[in-house]
Amino acid sequence: MSLTRRRFVAASAAATAAAGVAPRHSQAQATPDTLTLALAARGNRTLDPANSIQGADNWSIIHIHDTLVRSPDGRFAQRPEEFIPQLAQSWTMSPDARSWVFRLRQGVQFHKGYGECTADDVVFSLQRAMDPKQAGDRSLFVNIASVDADDKYTVRISLKRPDPLFLGGTIQNYACVILSRKAVGERGEAIQRDPIGTGAYQFGSLDPDPSKGVLMTANPAYFDGPPKIRNFRIRYILDTTARTLALLSGDVHMIEGVRAPGWVPSMKQRKPGLQFDVAAPGSLFTMSFNLTRKPLDDLRVRQAFAYAIDRDAIAAATAPISRRTYGLNPPDYPGGLKREAVPEALRYDHDPAKAKALLAAAGFPKGLKIEAYTSQREDYAAIMLIVQEQMRTVGVDIDLKVIDHTTFHANNRKDMNSLPQNSSAYPPVPTLPLSDTLSRTGEVKADGTGGTNYAHYGVAIPGIDDLLAATWAEPDFDKRIALVRQAELKVLADLPLMPMATNGYLIVRDPKVRLGYEVRSGYAYWRMNGAVFA
Amino acid sequence: MWRTVGLRVLDAVPTMWLVLTLVFVTMRMLPGDPAIAVLGEKATIEQLNQFRERIGLNLPLWLQYLHFLRDSVTLNFGTSFVANFTVAQLVALNLPYTIELTIAATLIGTAISVPIGVAAAVRRGEAIDSASRIFSLLGYAVPDFFLAAILLVAFSLDLGWFPINGGGEGFVDKLWHLALPALALGLIKAAFISRLTRSSLLEVLGFDYVRTARAKGAAETRVIYRHALRNALLPVVTGLGLSILSTLSGSVAVELIFGRPGVGSMLIGAIEARDYPVIQAGVVVFALFVVVVNLAMDIVYTIVDPRIGAS
Repeated sequence: MSLTRRRFVAASAAATAAAGVAPRHSQAQATPDTLTLALAARGNRTLDPANSIQGADNWSIIHIHDTLVRSPDGRFAQRPEEFIPQLAQSWTMSPDARSWVFRLRQGVQFHKGYGECTADDVVFSLQRAMDPKQAGDRSLFVNIASVDADDKYTVRISLKRPDPLFLGGTIQNYACVILSRKAVGERGEAIQRDPIGTGAYQFGSLDPDPSKGVLMTANPAYFDGPPKIRNFRIRYILDTTARTLALLSGDVHMIEGVRAPGWVPSMKQRKPGLQFDVAAPGSLFTMSFNLTRKPLDDLRVRQAFAYAIDRDAIAAATAPISRRTYGLNPPDYPGGLKREAVPEALRYDHDPAKAKALLAAAGFPKGLKIEAYTSQREDYAAIMLIVQEQMRTVGVDIDLKVIDHTTFHANNRKDMNSLPQNSSAYPPVPTLPLSDTLSRTGEVKADGTGGTNYAHYGVAIPGIDDLLAATWAEPDFDKRIALVRQAELKVLADLPLMPMATNGYLIVRDPKVRLGYEVRSGYAYWRMNGAVFA
Repeated sequence: MWRTVGLRVLDAVPTMWLVLTLVFVTMRMLPGDPAIAVLGEKATIEQLNQFRERIGLNLPLWLQYLHFLRDSVTLNFGTSFVANFTVAQLVALNLPYTIELTIAATLIGTAISVPIGVAAAVRRGEAIDSASRIFSLLGYAVPDFFLAAILLVAFSLDLGWFPINGGGEGFVDKLWHLALPALALGLIKAAFISRLTRSSLLEVLGFDYVRTARAKGAAETRVIYRHALRNALLPVVTGLGLSILSTLSGSVAVELIFGRPGVGSMLIGAIEARDYPVIQAGVVVFALFVVVVNLAMDIVYTIVDPRIGAS
């Protein structure tokens, strides 16, 4: 074969391209000194804990900063004595559970030469987080009366009401991480993009390109020992396919999973050996009944829904992410109802015949039709489409409109939904979901000025407000939990909402990344400080 | 020609104003509250009100409209409601990716389609004509996002020849990241342009001057490429302009699948989050893109057919 000029040019171009491609391809693979996690978000919104409301941002926040105390790795602390010292090396609670004193660990340094973390920084950080102008979750701070420094290493927090669960509800939350007063003073708003903390990783860079995201580097002076992996990058890949392929190709080590039926089995089939870390409960999925609308004001109709909906089937459809719940709080939360703790009459195990009988008794022997909205977000839509199908078997036709997530919540807040759903994450503080979704003061209003009690419970019918007030006033942990259980059982008797299932937070992990612990429960983020590559 | 360009730019002013007005009205008519979208469903009414006040949602609509026009004219779109960057930063990040994807897809589409179209016209009824028809039918039938996913799985995941997502860094790396997304869009574009080239060329090949050229003994290659194809290109250029604009819309899905930055995916995200400043900027960019592409097509017309410029 003769070598013409054209062939020579073509061959040269092909060789150059191949040479360029091959080394580049290996560079794009996750490098062994950088752990890469891809989250389902459009990008980072903020690295300021006081303003963060997007779960994906909290992964960065908790690695750059520290809280005073934390739960054990891989699970929520259930009782006060289970918490682990972090920036605070010890703490005490007053007998009335209204005064908490934290003794700080000495010598802990902020990143990049911002000095030692002292009580002054703790007071500053908590007061800043309490400022109502901040965008973060306000419910965490409403009970704090004051935060003061007794001395350089002692912080005293006074509460308005007793709270024996203060560590679990507020102090261990990402919003309560400790910032450097000096850094915030110098950097102002820029702290959102260039934060200073004491955490295991220090901030490296934040790229507006979500595929590059946040880069953090190991803090060599971390008080608990530096992390094993030098860099931790958090990327943002919203598209499910792109994120999945990024993991399967080895481009990233871990991805946020998809909370939709069938996804986990398909991943296991595609790549055996992948690790599925599920933090239960994740979000608590509930469906409220709008008690101001007929026929949902009739308890028999609500009970018919409860018997017709097969919550075990819903949980099984999204296994291993979901688990059935018997009350508003999940079974493994303090005060959460386990199956055996619920009287059979309030358990509402799947019984379509009973559902039909209840509908007939309520005057709907031929069934009924109800209009409702759900969100197009996969966790909402998947569950509600199953519910729609199950209700059809007892003659209830739910005319379900699947609308975008923003509109869905806006409509809920304007009392436009007959069957509003909620999927929210809560710490193991059982009064929080009860008060958020069922207290009289949180009643939804048509003008959008109300709260998230979409059922109108406590207004349309008597609710649990008295029990909640008694719970909040109770300083003793065990007595408080007993009151919570009473409230839970009353909710099951009145059925202003249907507890459905937990919606666990799922991270799929390349097996060569070892966490050093098993993820069982916790927030939708966990520490990678001890992670190593196998 | 400069007069033509000036007139076209003037023509674009009312178009842009109309587009901006439509965007403003549409954004306000969209269901969903930007305050809840940004602050989340657990936000208190005080937080929601503070947010609305800060971004001017509490102002009368006419005043919001005037602010909106002012920001658009001065290209000062402020800061995104949700991302912690100015809109200018976001556009500066995303726009180059969209432009390079559009240009690359157009180049690939043209490089594939014109030879196929010419071959199909010249060898009408033969096997190559049938093959080109099948290629075009497939191109029409297969959505760009589906083709993108197939290419991604085959060449990135299974064969590992191309990166799985992202936009790349540095010239060579960016080209490498660009290859598959551009190929996905380019192949779809080629299906349309190749049919257009074939039918246009077939029409021209029947004209008297082509017969005359052949009668004068001109070589067939010269007849086709020199006499016929150049005259057949005018509708192809029109089609190319239209396809560039459709590539913009097609790029949204492809950007998402390949995890690439781009104005399309930025705009979709902003609409979902009711991020008004970013929506506003994204639409202005798209509208400007349309104006520029139309203008470029007008200029190309005058090059392809000088009679248009003279008239």
